[in-house]
Amino acid sequence: MTQHNYLRKGILGAVAGAFVAITAGSVSAGYPDKPITFIVPYSPGGGSDQQARRLQPGLEKALGVKVRIIYKTGGGGAVGFGELWRSKNDGYTISNVVVPNIVIAGKKASVGFKAGKFSYIGMTERAVGALMVPKGSKFKTLKDFIAEAKANPGKITVAGVGSTGKVNMAALGSILNIKYTYVPVSGGVGKMIPMLLGKHVDAGMTASNHAVKHRAKLNALVVAGSKKIPALGNVPNEPKWEYMTTWGVMAPPGTPADRVKILNAALLKTTRAPSVANAISKGGYENLYQTPAEAAAYVGAAVKKFGN
Amino acid sequence: MIEGLYQALSLSTLLWLTVGVMIGMIVGTLPGLTATMGTALLVPFTFALPTGEGIAMLGGLYVCAMFSDAIPACLVNTPGTPAAMATAFDGHPMTLQGRGQEAIVASCFSSALGTVFGAGCYLLLAWPLIAIALKFGPPEFCWLGVFALTIIGSLAGDSILKGLAGAAIGLLISCIGISHGNELSRFTFGIPQLQGGVSLVAGLIGIFAIPQVLSMVSELRRKEFIAEYKPKGGETLKTIKKVMEHPWHVLRSSAIGSFIGILPGAGSPIAALVSYNEAIRWAKDKSQFGKGDLRGVTASEIANNAAAPAAMIPLVTLGVPGSSPAAVIAGALMLRGLNPGPELFQNDGALVYSFGWSLLFAGIVTFILGSLFAPLLVRIIRIPLRLLAPLIMLLATIGAYAIRNNIFDVYIMLGLGVFVFLVKRLGFHPGPIGLGLILGPIIEPSLIQALYISDAIGVGKVFFTGTINISLIVLIIVSVGLVVWTRRKDQIQERESASVKS
Repeated sequence: MTQHNYLRKGILGAVAGAFVAITAGSVSAGYPDKPITFIVPYSPGGGSDQQARRLQPGLEKALGVKVRIIYKTGGGGAVGFGELWRSKNDGYTISNVVVPNIVIAGKKASVGFKAGKFSYIGMTERAVGALMVPKGSKFKTLKDFIAEAKANPGKITVAGVGSTGKVNMAALGSILNIKYTYVPVSGGVGKMIPMLLGKHVDAGMTASNHAVKHRAKLNALVVAGSKKIPALGNVPNEPKWEYMTTWGVMAPPGTPADRVKILNAALLKTTRAPSVANAISKGGYENLYQTPAEAAAYVGAAVKKFGN
Repeated sequence: MIEGLYQALSLSTLLWLTVGVMIGMIVGTLPGLTATMGTALLVPFTFALPTGEGIAMLGGLYVCAMFSDAIPACLVNTPGTPAAMATAFDGHPMTLQGRGQEAIVASCFSSALGTVFGAGCYLLLAWPLIAIALKFGPPEFCWLGVFALTIIGSLAGDSILKGLAGAAIGLLISCIGISHGNELSRFTFGIPQLQGGVSLVAGLIGIFAIPQVLSMVSELRRKEFIAEYKPKGGETLKTIKKVMEHPWHVLRSSAIGSFIGILPGAGSPIAALVSYNEAIRWAKDKSQFGKGDLRGVTASEIANNAAAPAAMIPLVTLGVPGSSPAAVIAGALMLRGLNPGPELFQNDGALVYSFGWSLLFAGIVTFILGSLFAPLLVRIIRIPLRLLAPLIMLLATIGAYAIRNNIFDVYIMLGLGVFVFLVKRLGFHPGPIGLGLILGPIIEPSLIQALYISDAIGVGKVFFTGTINISLIVLIIVSVGLVVWTRRKDQIQERESASVKS
């Protein structure tokens, strides 16, 4: 019987220990004086998780409290965004935000949140659209790609992630005036890369950060926006193609302005630190430094563009 | 590779590896705490360590969790992670027969064998194997999923019809949420939490743990413990000998596990299920499977462990993780400014090889710790049912909640659990329902993608050309044919024996 007791106590002890480890944090006067919860609405290891992990040490240092990252995944981010919407707006719960994903997910009435109403702290980085082909593909340049698409309309297959990828490829397709077949992939860009490398599809619609990450095996034919991406070298850009994905940090609607200001100052201090700033630009992103008002306007513009 | 071996053999790497293995032991044993969550929770702690030590610790956790998930599977019929579902099919009957220690030691030894084989593939054959894996596109994955569905023939029990119905229920549950391709809400009844679908882990806990708890409660008056257990000396060596009596079986399970592990997106649960099914197909005496055949346990455990190091192969060769825990390890590397993939292989090959060696050592450390603790672990079944039932219930609830920090998943788990408890009394087996739940997310997206590609190339060319497609189709036809044939033979035999009696 004693042995059972030891076992039971051991298990209880382990569980209790885990809770203590999770709830422990430093205490100081004024806001913030207890740990801050940082919601990541996407899976561990993904782009949003990496953003959060990159910011975590700097935010902890600037704010003087622990920043705890928790994952609330599902529904293309809708579950995590919805969770933040329902959280207390005291500045102790913040979340990662991805634009335009939050606007596209928030369009459905059933998700229960409105993208325009959150308290935005600031956008930190931005990646632009990239059309990619495997190295060794018959398409060496964008010209080859367009020529083939015109010769055999609808025969080229282009993979992309969900409806966001579909919308972006449609935009590029209409600029280039080509017809292709879109193949939707769910579960992120990681699922698309083997399809490209195995030549099961001809091209893939992703973003500049992925193009940099996979440059050893994949070539980018074109990127969106008004300038080239230094980390990608000489890949041409298409100014009329405006697709971009932006990452930032936000708080629940109605978070007190003074607390948003404290959070914004900590965020800017973190992203301006050379180690973080370099990591962002080397990853194929564009660094952004915004005030809360600029961040809100940024999302507002996206709501206007994608909200209807 | 030799330089990598030296790095992996350094005292601090081995030390942190062992720490990872020990955490993995706990993570895998608790249902709901998956290897993915365990590695994700551990990532911040690894930042204090050098890269090699850090990822060795994560790898150790992953490998050991693929063993320790067999502990609750065998002892209380509740897989600790989805990968141990097939382990429970024979592991739990073994425990009921008083062979709990044998089941745990066999799981532990098979896990070590599988890990060493998988890590061997990582160290020696990474590039040729990944070249084959890349030939798997959407149509191939679709056929692979359908092939895995033929396992119903082995899981269904007495009625193949109930097996098919169970798998259909599982597949339908996996359809809940936002659909692939056109992103419409399906079967959500306007409940926003259902948009993200039913979490596989919460679903499997519901299917396996809750009915187990309910039947424990209903048997409380008749039974005080799950099963008898008397610790035996020399059990470890005896069991190892028993496992090694089937070298061909060990090799086949390792090969299946390693290969399916490499395929990005398939993962350990499918590796274990396919390996289990093949073990039955190739066995001369099939009568004991599902009733406590040791080969059932080893097939599943060898394969799900071989798949763990193998899932790192696409990560280090292509930069694409082969499983969710591999994705977390990829994230941990990227946060250090390293780019897992061909670049890392070129720039820091020693690190890549040292990781492979660490995975191999993780298998050995898992075996040492596992066989030391096995007699202690088996004592779980000496906890009286009146305490064990609430304990499992508590762990199941924490697990279902923790997977997405979502209370709704707990409701889903409870609802599914009660449903399965009731249909079990009607002769349904939970296995096919779990199978449908695991395979749905493989079959459906790949079918949809293959159909979209068909728009450009044509259905016939996409689905019915290529060596892999044809081989899988032949395998499916043979599997279904064999099930029909053996069932008919059994029926005729039964009828004959019935007529003799009358």
